[in-house]
Amino acid sequence: MAFGLRWSGTRVFLATEIRVQLHEWLAIVTGTLTPGALLIFVAVLAPGLLPVTLIGALVYSMFLIGQRVLNEAAYIRIDHKLNELYHASPLSPEGYFVGIAGGMLIAYLPPSLLILAILEILHPLSFLAIVALATCLLAVWAVSSTIGYVVSTLFKDMKTIWPYSALLTNLFGVLPPVFYPFSRVPTEWRSLVLVLPTSAAAVLIDAAAGLEGVTVTQGVLAAMALAVEATALFAFGIYWARRTARER
Amino acid sequence: MRGPVTEEALHAEDVRKTYRSRGGPEVEALRGVSLVLRRGGRVALLGRNGAGKTTFLRIASTLLIPTSGTIHAFGFDVVREPERVRPLIAVVPQEGKPFFHLTPREQVYYYLRARGISRETARTRTEEALGKMGIQEVADRLSVTLSGGQRQRAMVATVLATEAPLMFLDEPTIGLDPFARRAVWGVLRDLTRKGSTILLTTHYLDEAEALSERLYVVDEGRILFEGTSDDAKRQIGGTLRVSIEDGGGQRDLFRSFGHTVEEGNALSVITGPEKVHEIMDLALRNGLSATVGPVTLEEAFLTIVGRSIDEE
Repeated sequence: MAFGLRWSGTRVFLATEIRVQLHEWLAIVTGTLTPGALLIFVAVLAPGLLPVTLIGALVYSMFLIGQRVLNEAAYIRIDHKLNELYHASPLSPEGYFVGIAGGMLIAYLPPSLLILAILEILHPLSFLAIVALATCLLAVWAVSSTIGYVVSTLFKDMKTIWPYSALLTNLFGVLPPVFYPFSRVPTEWRSLVLVLPTSAAAVLIDAAAGLEGVTVTQGVLAAMALAVEATALFAFGIYWARRTARER
Repeated sequence: MRGPVTEEALHAEDVRKTYRSRGGPEVEALRGVSLVLRRGGRVALLGRNGAGKTTFLRIASTLLIPTSGTIHAFGFDVVREPERVRPLIAVVPQEGKPFFHLTPREQVYYYLRARGISRETARTRTEEALGKMGIQEVADRLSVTLSGGQRQRAMVATVLATEAPLMFLDEPTIGLDPFARRAVWGVLRDLTRKGSTILLTTHYLDEAEALSERLYVVDEGRILFEGTSDDAKRQIGGTLRVSIEDGGGQRDLFRSFGHTVEEGNALSVITGPEKVHEIMDLALRNGLSATVGPVTLEEAFLTIVGRSIDEE
């Protein structure tokens, strides 16, 4: 029980969430639509950018998991009151949070694996690049899941939540250089995009894959920002899950 | 899990809850509720909408922190030791619904497994609960395709299958047909025979009467009455009700026989068996028809709560 964390029931709740998502398989299939559509545009308009866009699609898909955590956590709390069923049980609050976040990650992994397979065909990755890719994607998942879970607890009806979901997706997934190369960002904005988790991840993976060059300073800044954000936010997510398991 | 050996399943002492919203007025949802549930008992909380029943249930089930007061479940402090209390309790939340994209069978089974119940026991209890709740035929359909009543039965089955030592059920039979309601009553009686303790809220007074050994009437965050349903009926001055058709406006004629209630054109006199003859005689002599029946818990409830409203 490091840091007093309790994980009772987490594995089963995670399996429950995966089962729920698999029954909604159409949502998993349509989860590839937005990145898929962007890939088609790029393939037609600028085929040379396709590997960068594929990496962007992987980062974007991972960020979308956070939005699914937001919607799922809000839905089962506001509409179904299932949070009360589980919070008044031996399942720990941290297990509840990790169960939803982990369940979404696993259930929505197949579309990402498909994108990865296409990337491997068009631009084979070194072992180091694959490790960098996996680490960065996991960090984006940790950040986006926490943001999604925390936002889900702040409102009392679903309609209020939907605009936040769209806002977060555009703010983190579309505006910064996730789908397009970091080199196209004006110099004065580069430091800012290097500390945004999604663009930091995309920049690091692009660099590890040899698609974009970054300076050592930029690489270190992006890596540190992503590592700190992922660790701090995920820890905060666990704290928040424990805090909100009981109303005050 | 049967819980630690203690005769008291729940002991609440002067529990208060005040909701404070930014910019809004303070709302005192509970104003000093004290109650004791003995192990293996079935107890109902009755009250109007907003009386504080759900607030109390949510505090007792570790979901809400009280403003003050103490509350213990099987000797464990619900506020300070929630992680010790949670394995001993289970809750049917008000208006709770099962996962729409799970089948009732999956819903019950996965929930039991998440509570740490072994695969084999979870499977057995799942089938038992689905059978008792009469939803075996739809047990493999996604809950999204089920009727509201079937979903509610799946929800109740999920919680009752836990066989937790202390169960909180917030309006568990809402939306259920009379057969399903009786099925729930049967399961609850079985569970208390096995040693579980049940605290439920309901607006169905026949349910409270049929099911509960003890009632608490709550209004505006206070307990107005505590006792059996017979005690409640005695509170209003008699066990029989003589209903006099077209007796409205003739209250004075019958007032000396007991508590009178006017409902439109009819007048009801709450009284004891010794006075029934006299009232009937008087009614007939005045050309009024009258019928005799037992006092219902609903009448007792209306009187107890109504008296409190009048006093305010």
